[in-house]
Amino acid sequence: MADDDGDGGMQDYRDEVNDMPEGNDGIDAMDEPDFGDEEDPNEEEEKERITTRTLTKYERARILGTRALQLSMGAPPMVEIQPGETDPLVIAKRELQEKKIPITIRRFLPDGSYEDWPLDDLTIPSMGQAP
Amino acid sequence: MSSKEIASAAHIEVNNRDFYDAQDRSQTRGGTLDPRLGAINKRAVCETCQESLQECIGHFGYIRLCLPVFHPGYFKAALNTLQMICKHCSHVMIKPSLRLKYVTKLRNPTLSSKSHIRGSILREVWTQSKKVSLCPYCDRANGTVKKTAVLKIVHYPADNKPPSKKKDEDDEDDVLNDDDEDLFLAADDLNPLKVLQLFEKIPAEDVQLLDMDPEIGRPERMLVQYLPVPPLCIRPTVCADPSAGSTEDDLTVKAAEIVQVNSAIAQLMEKGGTTATVFDAWDQMQYEVARYINSDQPGLPLVQGAAKPLRGICQRLKGKTGRFRGNLSGKRVDFSGRTVISPDPNLRIDQVGVPQRVAKVLTYPERVTKFNIDLLRKMVRNGTEKYPGANHIEYQDGSKKFLKYGDRKKIAKELSFGTIVERHLIDGDIVLFNRQPSLHRISIMAHRVKISPHRTFRFNECVCAPYNADFDGDEMNLHVPQTQEARTEALELMGVVNNIMTPKNGEPLVAATQDFITSSYLSTRKDVFMDRAEFTRVLATMSSAEFSLPLPQPAIQKPMELWTGKQLFTVLIQSAALSAGATKERVSMADKSFTESADAYVCFRGGELMCGQVGKKSLGDGSKKSVLYILARECGNEAAAYAMNRLARFSARWLTDGGFSIGVDDVSPSLALQRIKARLVNDGYEKCQEFIEQLRVGKLAPRPGCSPEETLEAVLNKELSNIRDVAGKACLNEIDVRTNAALTMALAGSKGSTINISQMISCVGQQTVGGGRAPDGFFGRALPHFELGLKARSPVAKGFVSNSFFSGMKATEFFMHAQSGREGLTDTAVKTAETGYMQRRLVKALEDLSVQYDSTVRSSSGSVIQIRYGDDDLDPIEMEDPNDGKPVNFSRLLDAMVKELSDDLLASKLLPSEDEENRGGLAHCIKDVQKFLIKFADKQDELESSFGLRRSQVKEFLRHVQAKVRKATVEPGTAVGAIGAQSIGEPGTQMTLKTFHFAGVASMNITLGVPRLKEIINASTRISTPITTAPLVFDREMTAARIVKGRVQRTLLGEIALYIKEVYRSDDSYLAVRLDKSVIDAFQLDVDIVEVAMRIVSHSFSKIRTSKRGLENMLRLKNKEARKKDMESRPYFLMQALKHQLPNVPVCGIGAVSRAVISESDSVRGSYHLAIESDDIGSVMTVPGVDGVNVTCNHIMAVEKTLGIESARQSILSQIAFTMSSHGLSVADHHLKLLADCMTSSGTVLGITRFGIQKMRTSTLMLASFEMTLDHLFDAAIHSRKDEISGVSERIIMGVPIPLGTGLFRLLRKSTPDDESVAAQKRNILLKESMPTRVNI
Repeated sequence: MADDDGDGGMQDYRDEVNDMPEGNDGIDAMDEPDFGDEEDPNEEEEKERITTRTLTKYERARILGTRALQLSMGAPPMVEIQPGETDPLVIAKRELQEKKIPITIRRFLPDGSYEDWPLDDLTIPSMGQAP
Repeated sequence: MSSKEIASAAHIEVNNRDFYDAQDRSQTRGGTLDPRLGAINKRAVCETCQESLQECIGHFGYIRLCLPVFHPGYFKAALNTLQMICKHCSHVMIKPSLRLKYVTKLRNPTLSSKSHIRGSILREVWTQSKKVSLCPYCDRANGTVKKTAVLKIVHYPADNKPPSKKKDEDDEDDVLNDDDEDLFLAADDLNPLKVLQLFEKIPAEDVQLLDMDPEIGRPERMLVQYLPVPPLCIRPTVCADPSAGSTEDDLTVKAAEIVQVNSAIAQLMEKGGTTATVFDAWDQMQYEVARYINSDQPGLPLVQGAAKPLRGICQRLKGKTGRFRGNLSGKRVDFSGRTVISPDPNLRIDQVGVPQRVAKVLTYPERVTKFNIDLLRKMVRNGTEKYPGANHIEYQDGSKKFLKYGDRKKIAKELSFGTIVERHLIDGDIVLFNRQPSLHRISIMAHRVKISPHRTFRFNECVCAPYNADFDGDEMNLHVPQTQEARTEALELMGVVNNIMTPKNGEPLVAATQDFITSSYLSTRKDVFMDRAEFTRVLATMSSAEFSLPLPQPAIQKPMELWTGKQLFTVLIQSAALSAGATKERVSMADKSFTESADAYVCFRGGELMCGQVGKKSLGDGSKKSVLYILARECGNEAAAYAMNRLARFSARWLTDGGFSIGVDDVSPSLALQRIKARLVNDGYEKCQEFIEQLRVGKLAPRPGCSPEETLEAVLNKELSNIRDVAGKACLNEIDVRTNAALTMALAGSKGSTINISQMISCVGQQTVGGGRAPDGFFGRALPHFELGLKARSPVAKGFVSNSFFSGMKATEFFMHAQSGREGLTDTAVKTAETGYMQRRLVKALEDLSVQYDSTVRSSSGSVIQIRYGDDDLDPIEMEDPNDGKPVNFSRLLDAMVKELSDDLLASKLLPSEDEENRGGLAHCIKDVQKFLIKFADKQDELESSFGLRRSQVKEFLRHVQAKVRKATVEPGTAVGAIGAQSIGEPGTQMTLKTFHFAGVASMNITLGVPRLKEIINASTRISTPITTAPLVFDREMTAARIVKGRVQRTLLGEIALYIKEVYRSDDSYLAVRLDKSVIDAFQLDVDIVEVAMRIVSHSFSKIRTSKRGLENMLRLKNKEARKKDMESRPYFLMQALKHQLPNVPVCGIGAVSRAVISESDSVRGSYHLAIESDDIGSVMTVPGVDGVNVTCNHIMAVEKTLGIESARQSILSQIAFTMSSHGLSVADHHLKLLADCMTSSGTVLGITRFGIQKMRTSTLMLASFEMTLDHLFDAAIHSRKDEISGVSERIIMGVPIPLGTGLFRLLRKSTPDDESVAAQKRNILLKESMPTRVNI
């Protein structure tokens, strides 16, 4: 029975993995009702958000990765595509710079609570392009 | 698991000892190879699940043992439990009053994770109940319980006393049968059966008292009744030749043997064998079961004829190649390659040249879209053999096709969107590139693929440093990330361009090396001029036609247009800045070059090289003054990458054009030089001879704390090393800077030093072994070639090599050179193993510390290690100041700022307004900024007031400081623990094993290097050289220092006594001690006769009576016992004994301090402090004259004991910093702080050892994957521990994302607010609150 518990824990993780493809092209994004709702966020907003206003490099990397994957699997780009521009990563970078990626970051604090940061609220440090 | 669970989890009972049927050679049913346990080979099908070998997950069987046996892993716990419980009523024998206290303590749910605290409570309970001889619940006598033989426990009911009458009566009251034995046996053999009965009787509450779970972890489960037999797939049969029979796995064989013994016992019991035979067989079974589980259990009887040790279940888990470290924490992977590496300056620094034949094997699965369908069609048509091809194709229904066979044209034609093509690697793909040992995070970086026709991996030499690679046959590994996400994250976080700086201290590591520096040095010489054709040609070599730039104005217009080599560099740097989309204006630096030479002052202004020959300091790694570093900071890493790419291309060609090589003429000394050298060596030898002569006649004044011999060694060492230095300088003066290639390289800093040159040309110098001159390996001398006596001390006889490598060494010289060389080799060999283990421990201890979104540093279990990372929240990788780890190099910034503003002065660039939010960044260093500006203003005042700063300039300056500080803030998610561990461990590998070092002028050694680092990190209680440094109240006066020294250093009575005499009179006998006043005065000791008398009495001579009669400074000592005038007291012997001991009585100073040395401070001349060979800080601090508040000690545990945990933290910090800096290694103190905080955050100093880590971390899986795998697993099983699976190790083992970096947060998709329930349900399984997973072993 103890073993079952072990499996149970694992099952949850696996569930998550299985959920992903059903969700959105295998992205670990998930539905978030609070966001996009006009009343609820105000409640959230009243609690002052304490985390940094800038996008961290980890967030940047993961958003780019997620978005590039979406693009590579056929998601419609949110920016004008220049002719010959086919690398999903390059497109994703431009989308990020223009804050056009429809993704919200949920930052977890150590006590388990979280803050939701839509891209629009964040400052994106410009990193330049690879040589 | 309980017996029931084992049985129900299994599919069959194994009860047949045969493997195969004798007739048809099929697997025996009910045997250990039963086909129902899984498929035995590729052809077979599992009978339980009807799957093949690949698909079947395997099924357990079990053996029902007819008698229980001890489990070897739980034996110790069973023994302890037996010692705690009453051997009659099974209650834990603890006083009822204490009972409740412990039960509540152990039931505390918050304690659930702290296994080591639970362990200590259990130990308390154990000590409380073990000694109880009368059970408080049934009043029965209990004695000691002991392990007598292997896996045997015996109970001595009444402590081995013959059973008393009273006990008999007690027993008679009980009418139980099994008590009869107790009656007559002094020793009661607790066999497994009895133990089982006892354990089963333990009430639930008492089970909790044993820190076990009454529901799922009852103590009787510590005995084996049902033995699980693992599936066939984990103990495969190897069958090379069916006719010759097969080789079975150890577990299979052992299980079969257990079945055999078991059935033998069953038969015996059924048929009624003698007790002895049954017991024999039972023992046999006990051993077999023990061996099955843990084959190297100590004490098990040897098996005859066993060639190799058996591989039991424990052996499969344990050790480096065991399941935990070998298969769970690290796995073998696909899509990887390994081959030899070679350099290629034509590649960009972020590229890696991949051979075509490698590219044809490694693939990347690409989904077909309308953008790439044409390319992928072509690749599919090309198939596996032709280069840009594809190996497999996966359709959307999941079916897969191998493209080696079949009609590829047809497949290509039918290719549809959404299909995945596993295509060959092509240019621009992202791969991870790695070289072992992976000591820090930049040992693995992401490169872009460049397909090459060769057979080796190639990359730009600039990237050698982070990998620590050279091209003498090194091999490196390549991994191909298989998803778009993976490659994006890899490129963003691990890309070479994003990792130019090392997180250790922010210095650039990817930088120009060797040839690049040489050619830069040569090309920026003052006399390099080029005409238009040549200049443009050279510029073209660096550009590879990828950018255009305006030609600068020629430096010389008439008589013809000429450009200088320095202008080449100007173009290089400026174009790099412009290509990265930045301005060149702020690329300014000014600094002395690497070595002293003619054109040594390098100065860049706005990207223009004004003067100086650029060398290692301006281009090389590890320098924050390098122009490449400034380019990276001011214009972005891309700019630095561009510059390096172009520099590499240009350098390779420049050197090929001009040619650069080293030959014999570079190292042959001129006649003049030979003469100078001969004279120098002769002079040196004569001086040495003088010193030796002085020693012979005894005139050599010994240094403080040294014998004359030691002094001679020190003096000679100094003299001899001087010879080499002078000879080296002489040869540098003699050789031509312009033509000597070796010297050119030394001056440029690209390779070799002046010492190397002088060793080649003039004199190799003194050879050292173990820090001294060559040891006496022969009788009284180093080699038999030399004469005995003082002549064996001469320079030549002790390893001074006066020849150069060019002139060749004599046989004896060569021998000692080889000695020294061998020492170096063995040291490296020893060192790598030691530092490797140290690194592993550091990483395990710190791996899961990370910066959280509330800017605290926490471990995975949520305990706070630091409130702010490094006390200031700054990331050491972003620190710009080369000297003191500030985020901004103020003077450089101001410099650049002034220049920039003078260009557009009136501009809009003023601080927008006093923006509240913008202000934040400055808080960290506002004081520093102030200090700097005031200092700057003062300086300007001194010069001329009109050169002040404008208000706008100051504002702009502040704005930039602000921006830089904000950028330097450490980002939430950073795995600061792992980075810190690597930053401390990696420099450890570079420490030369020079263990000793002279502290100040005193001849006091302190341990340094790896051994010292080990001492600090292990938090050793005994360190090899404890030293307390005591500053003095009057630190300027030598006399005051001497007085304090006298108070600190132990002085023995023998040292200050003029005499100790025995005096015998007819009626009396005593010892007369007279102190030598002159000695006391000479050493300015703080001692008088009264003090001495007190010290003597207090020093364990309590029977002594002292009286101060007679002469001044004289003491009479009498033994009280000797007063009795009978001969039994033997006054003579007492007197002798006393006289023998007296000289060793400390009469002055601190008893433990055998040596204190007055030493002059390094920084302030004429300021003295004491260096004391002791760790007794408390006593030293209280000595009058010592500045007690500022006493420091290098013994961390002593500091903790005396001054508390915060001091200990500070001590760890400063000691590691000192050790590192004395080896010339710089590590940002953020890393050290983190380590110190981690070691001290629990309130006591915990070492980074298996014991310390055990107290820091609670996860069983993590501990099991570190060390003592089995102990942790068994312990967790006994106490039904749970594992949160929140740390890095655990998550890697379980294959779950790690809550660091990109795993700290989640991404949400914008969506309409519908399916509320789904979202609510999903929130429960968010990463942070991962389901606690119970581990059950």
